[in-house]
Amino acid sequence: MITTEAKHDNLSMSDNYLNHTKGIKSWLFTLDHKRIGMMYLICILLAFLLGGIFAMLIRFHLLTPDGALMTQDQYNQAFTVHGAVMVFLVIIPAVPAALGNFVLPIMLGAKDVAFPRLNLFSWWLWILGLVFFLISLGTGGVDTGWTFYTPYSIDKASSMGGVIPALIGAFVLGFSSIFTGMNFIVTIHRLRPVGMTWFRMPLFLWGTYATAIIQVLATPVIGITLLLLIVERSFGIGIFDPALGGDPVLYQHFFWFYSHPAVYIMILPAMGIVSELIAVHSHRHIFGYKFIAYSSIAIAMFGFLVWGHHMFTSGQSQLVNIIFSLITFSVSIPSAIKVFNWLATLYKGSISLNTPMLYGLSFIFIFGIGGLTGLYCATLNTDVHLHDSYFIVAHFHYVMMGSALIGFIGGIHHWWPKMTGKMYNEAWGRFACVLVFVGFNVTFFTQFMMGSRGMPRRYATYQPEFQTYHVISTIGSTIMALGFVITAIYLLHSVFKGKKAPRNPWGGRSLEWQCSSPPPWDNFAEQPEVGDCYDFSVLVWNEEEQGYDWRKDAVHPGE
Amino acid sequence: MIETILYSLLSNVPPTDNGTFWLPRSASTVAENIDFTFELINWICYFFFAVIVVAMVLFCIKYRRKSPNMTCDGPTHNTALELTWTIAPLLLVVVIFTVGMRGYLDLREAPEGCYEVQVTGQKWSWTFNHPEFGATQVGELTVPVGKPVRLLMTSNDVLHSVWIPDFRVKMDVIPGRYTSLWFEATKVGDYQLNCTEYCGKDHSKMLAKVHVIPVDEFDATMIKLASEYEDMSRAELPAYAINRLYNRCVSCHSLDGSSGTGPSFNGLWDRVKVGQVKFTSGEALSSLLGDATEYGEPENYIRESILNPQKHIVQGYLGSMPSFQGQLKEKQITAMIEMFKHLDELTDANGNITVNKDGTPTE
Repeated sequence: MITTEAKHDNLSMSDNYLNHTKGIKSWLFTLDHKRIGMMYLICILLAFLLGGIFAMLIRFHLLTPDGALMTQDQYNQAFTVHGAVMVFLVIIPAVPAALGNFVLPIMLGAKDVAFPRLNLFSWWLWILGLVFFLISLGTGGVDTGWTFYTPYSIDKASSMGGVIPALIGAFVLGFSSIFTGMNFIVTIHRLRPVGMTWFRMPLFLWGTYATAIIQVLATPVIGITLLLLIVERSFGIGIFDPALGGDPVLYQHFFWFYSHPAVYIMILPAMGIVSELIAVHSHRHIFGYKFIAYSSIAIAMFGFLVWGHHMFTSGQSQLVNIIFSLITFSVSIPSAIKVFNWLATLYKGSISLNTPMLYGLSFIFIFGIGGLTGLYCATLNTDVHLHDSYFIVAHFHYVMMGSALIGFIGGIHHWWPKMTGKMYNEAWGRFACVLVFVGFNVTFFTQFMMGSRGMPRRYATYQPEFQTYHVISTIGSTIMALGFVITAIYLLHSVFKGKKAPRNPWGGRSLEWQCSSPPPWDNFAEQPEVGDCYDFSVLVWNEEEQGYDWRKDAVHPGE
Repeated sequence: MIETILYSLLSNVPPTDNGTFWLPRSASTVAENIDFTFELINWICYFFFAVIVVAMVLFCIKYRRKSPNMTCDGPTHNTALELTWTIAPLLLVVVIFTVGMRGYLDLREAPEGCYEVQVTGQKWSWTFNHPEFGATQVGELTVPVGKPVRLLMTSNDVLHSVWIPDFRVKMDVIPGRYTSLWFEATKVGDYQLNCTEYCGKDHSKMLAKVHVIPVDEFDATMIKLASEYEDMSRAELPAYAINRLYNRCVSCHSLDGSSGTGPSFNGLWDRVKVGQVKFTSGEALSSLLGDATEYGEPENYIRESILNPQKHIVQGYLGSMPSFQGQLKEKQITAMIEMFKHLDELTDANGNITVNKDGTPTE
């Protein structure tokens, strides 16, 4: 037993990506995808804290109808900063840039991404974007909403002084996202080892691949739009301002042509994570692999054709509204396929209700509500009533926060042993997950009710009849915040005091579970053999290591 | 509220005039249609969500891991089943789409012979013009019950949006173009109108009340509204102005002395009279007052501030006030000036209005 442990020690701790080189510079200028992924993870979680603080400010302000904490202007800044930080700095890069960077090349069986320098550059662009956001806070703030709708954002007399730095920040972050997407597309096309055919790729890779396509094709549009806005605001050239002969609704088309696909940039990789969570933690071959894989591509493609559903009351023509409504419904089909396939994967599985799995199941529950409430918003006449109300606020939080971010956090727990080489406290993990789940639903389900009953969004003050809802919602957000704080504590604790993680704690079959925890500097000493990444029958429980090994009698693929 | 929620959950019948669990009371002809679509989607969602959660919970209990060893088996795919859950939702969403689209066309196609109201949104108030009567309302809109009403809307500054939840209607209000919406109110009463496109600082205070009144009272009410100030004596004008005109100033100009987007009206006349106002140009009003200068009478400065507010911007403010040119008749401007002169008699120390329109004290 001593020898096995020592041997294990050697494998995992002697030389891995964390201790291969030392010093702050070896991190800040690293070309290693794992280190870049970890730097992204740390930064994104800090940005999540920032966005979360603003979220709590908003919730506590809304405890009373007249606003409990802030002035109207401060409230408007708070929801703008909350939205912009959460969208541009957190959710869009969360899964692809942080987890994707770490996991994607290893899952694929590659030593790194195709363009490691470009990868590092993406991270630096993210930092630059953050700097511009901070500058905008220091130069008068932004109160336009994260959507920067014209002509409000152009009019210097109405909107605040920090608009241009915020626009530049979003522009720079766009390029960070484009480069990550480009890198992943090339990596998946060019760096698949022998045996890793398209349909042997884990579904997380299909999710990130579909995401990367959107990142590369849609993000340039928002870049151009933001530039036009900067030019208009700086030099008074009439593009979107009707006073200068421009068209304010044109801006909405440009904006949503990116920002609707951006929703799929957020949700698709999270769906990829959930496919992994459900399969691995049920020890069960994923059900309907091809349907799930194709549905990711289908969502990515349909996602480009539905932007107009954000504009049903913008004055666009009835015919255009009808067409966009019809196409919007098409997105619901691949989403439904995924949910049903995940449920079928649970059938006859061996389901472990551990922390990552609880997040996976939370995702299905929350995405169920988020997806189904999309039906009300896609339907023309109900959307006319619900548009720009708290119903919409609740709907997109169910999708962007409850689904995309919950998937991200589930992914963090799933790959935490691999990334850090440490196990976190399972009991605290489950407890925090339950808090987050309950808190989330209390916070946002209430918002569906007040929204459809007539509470408009972006209101610093409101009619007294909505106070009960707002109070319940604030209580929910406090429970959720507590869950996140506990999560931060036990994760940090595990880094210093956690048990050493085995190579394969969950019984995962994809390639990252074949290298040590944490992985060595160059991922694989020798090229791993690729098989069916959802065939768990070749693994066997090893009580000593508290992890899974290859069965002695199992035939290695390729042998 | 809890019992309201429970009651409506259990019975699915509106418990009071207050609407259902999901929707506010319905008070327009299109509301019924929208509520039907909403309920239809509701039941579809309840069904699918129940299927998802029941399956998830059942499987999690039944197939809970008993030993860490790999024991699992089970189908890896089933094309017939997967096609079923592809095609069945597809058919359902086509039904939902069609119902929604038909309802939408009814919602958008205004019937012939609508009563027309011209709506102007500007930060942060709503102005409603009744061209048929030559009457103007601010912050309140009076319409007849049982008659289709069409709002023709535009904005003087940024995007706004009209939403009347009880009528289930909404349309953005856009500068430089017209948009419209129509409704037919079915019940006499007062209804909330919100701005629901973010428009800056006081977005959440850009509200109005829709008064739905019986048809036989409507004409008389509007005629009275259109002409009420014409026969008034000078002494009656201040009470009229503070009750009828001040509501378009309220979002920026307080009565209690506190600074808003614009200077407070409290003590304004005393400052203007002696020229004790400084502009962003550095000039003082006193140098512009007097016989031979720009404002022979201080009243002219007030008049110009209403009609051309950008000309002199008071120090410490941004100058975001729009012009009220064409929106106020000469006599109404006179009424505003009279209001400034008599503000002490119209308000208390906290800036609360203390007189009714007819000059009687408020309760």
